Amino acid sequence: MMARMRSALALLGLATALNVTLAPSGSAQEPRLESRVPEPTRSEINAILDSAGAAGLPTEPLVDRALEGVAKGADPDRILAAVRRLSGELRLAYDALGPRSSAAEIISGASAIRAGARSEDLAYLRELRADQPLTVAAATLADLVAVGVPADTAIAAVIALAEEADDAHYVAFRRNVERDIALGASPVAALGVRLEATAADVFRSAGQSPDSRPRPRKP
Amino acid sequence: MSDSDNGLKQVIDLLKQPVSLDSSFDEKVMEQVESVPPPRAWARSLWTAANWMRRGRTLTVSPLQGLALAAGVVAALFVGRMWVKPDSAVSPGPTAAVAEAALVHFVIVAPGAGSVSLVGDFNDWAALETPMHRVEGNGVWSVSIPLTTGRYRYAFLVDGTTWLSDPSAPPALDDEFGRPGSVLTVGEL
Amino acid sequence: MLDVRGQSDGFLVRRVLEGDTAAYAGLVNRYRDRLARYATRMLGNAADAEEALQDAFVRGYRYLARCSDPERFGAWLFGILVNRCRTLGSQRARRQRHIVHDESAMARASVSHSEGGADLMEAIEHAVAQLQPAQREAFLLKYVEEMSYEEMTRLTGTRISALKMRVSRARQELRRLLEGVDGV
Repeated sequence: MMARMRSALALLGLATALNVTLAPSGSAQEPRLESRVPEPTRSEINAILDSAGAAGLPTEPLVDRALEGVAKGADPDRILAAVRRLSGELRLAYDALGPRSSAAEIISGASAIRAGARSEDLAYLRELRADQPLTVAAATLADLVAVGVPADTAIAAVIALAEEADDAHYVAFRRNVERDIALGASPVAALGVRLEATAADVFRSAGQSPDSRPRPRKP
Repeated sequence: MSDSDNGLKQVIDLLKQPVSLDSSFDEKVMEQVESVPPPRAWARSLWTAANWMRRGRTLTVSPLQGLALAAGVVAALFVGRMWVKPDSAVSPGPTAAVAEAALVHFVIVAPGAGSVSLVGDFNDWAALETPMHRVEGNGVWSVSIPLTTGRYRYAFLVDGTTWLSDPSAPPALDDEFGRPGSVLTVGEL
Repeated sequence: MLDVRGQSDGFLVRRVLEGDTAAYAGLVNRYRDRLARYATRMLGNAADAEEALQDAFVRGYRYLARCSDPERFGAWLFGILVNRCRTLGSQRARRQRHIVHDESAMARASVSHSEGGADLMEAIEHAVAQLQPAQREAFLLKYVEEMSYEEMTRLTGTRISALKMRVSRARQELRRLLEGVDGV
C-alpha cells in the first residue's frame, strides 16, 4: 500500500515537476487575458508568453503582471512594456540561477535583478545556497532596496548570510532593518547593526563558536 | 594546432582517455556516506510533487509584522489526484498528494471605507474576488487566504476606486502602473 | 550482498531510499570513472578532482530524495559534480598547483616529442588549464562528454547561445595555445 502510494506520488511529482519546469507553459492564447486585455496587446503578450515558456521561464508572473496592469487601469503600451521588462528579468534570473531552480526562486531572483543585483550576484548566491532555497534570500535583497538600502549594500548583506542563514533569519533581518528605518535610523546604519546581530544568531544556531565564525562582510 | 579539425580531434581523443582513480576511492566515499543521515523515500515524493524543500514544517511568511502578526497558519490545503496506469507491481487507484499552504492574514485600517478588497497575483488581480471583512467598531478590515511558497504582489482596493499599499509590507519596487502596491514572500513550507 | 550488475539506476536509488545504504556503492562504482575524467580535466589535477568527486557522491547520497528521475541518476549526479567543480575551481583558482606556467615550462612544452606521449598530454592539459573556467566547462561537456547543447543548457543553466560562444572561444584559444606544439 505504502509502496503503491509512493510510486504514485513519485509519478505525480514527476508530472508536476515537468509541468513546472520543462513544459512551455505559455499557450498560444492565455485564457485569462482574453476578456481583459484588448488586441493587439493581447497577441503581443501571448507571443512573449510563448517565447518565455519555450525558454523554460515561469510564465505565471508575466500573466499576473499583465492582469495587474489591467486592474490598475494602465494603458496597453505600459502593460506591454512591463511584461516585456519582467520577461527579460526572469530570463536573467533563470540564466543565473540555473534550470533546476524553482519557479519561486526565479521570480524572486527577477525581483533582485530589478532591485539592482547583477547576474553574477545571483549566480554566487545560488552557489552559496546550492542546497538551500533562495526565494526568501533573493526577496530580502529586493525588499531591502525597496526601503532605501543601496543595492550594493543589500547585496553584500544577503550574500554575507547566504551560507548559513535560513529563511527565518532573513525575514527577521529584513523586518528589523525596516523597523529601525521606520524609527529614524539611516538605512545603511540600520543594515550594518542588524547584519552583525543576525550573523551572530545564524552562527549560534549553526552550532559554531563565535571565534570560528566568519565575520559578515561589511557592506 | 593545425588549422583543420584534425588537431582538435586529436586533443579531444587524448582528453577522452580514461582517468583511473585510486582503488580505495569507493571505500572512502562509502565511509563518508555512512556518516551522513540517510535520505528518506517519503521526502522524494514530497520533493518532486511540489519542488519544496526538506525542512520539515518550518514556515516563514514575510511580511509578518504589525497587525499581520495575528496570522494563523494551517496546513494541507490542496489535494491533487491521479490514477496510476496498471502494471505488474502497481494496481490502479486514486492517490492524493498533500501539499501545504500558509494561511496568511491581511489587515488594513480604513475607517471610512464602504468596501475593501484584497487584489493581487494570487487572485488574478480580480477586484471582487477577495472581499475583506470589517472588524466591528475599529475601522480594521481583514481577510485570510492560503498561499504556497512564492513572491506575490498585491494591493488593497478601497471602494472599488482607491489603491492602497500594505503599510506592514515592503513596497513593490517595480510599480509600473502608477498605483501603490506591496510584496509578500512566502518561504519554503 | 546485493549484486548490482544489471540493476537499473532506478532500482538502486529506490533501494538506498528504502534504507539499504550499501546499494549506493553500486552507483558509486558505476559512475566513478566517467565522473573522474570530467573532474580531472576540469580541475587540472587528481587531488582536487578526487575531492570534488567525493563531495559530489556524498551530496548525491544526502539529497538522493531530490533526484526526481532515479533512472537518470547519472545525469543528475553529473549536474552536482559540475557545480562542485565550479565551486572548488574558483576556490583554487589562485593556487594553480600542479599546473606549470613559467616561461621555461612553456618552452619545454613547445618542443615536445613527436611520438605524442606524456609531453603532448602535458601540453594539452596545460592549454586546457589556461582556458577560462566557463569556456573549459563548455568545451569539455561538448566534446569530451559529448553532450548536446540541449543537455548542456539543462545541466548548466546557461543559454545555448552563450554555450556555443564559449565552445567556439575555447576552440580558438586552444588552437592559439597549441600552435607549434608537435603532434597536434
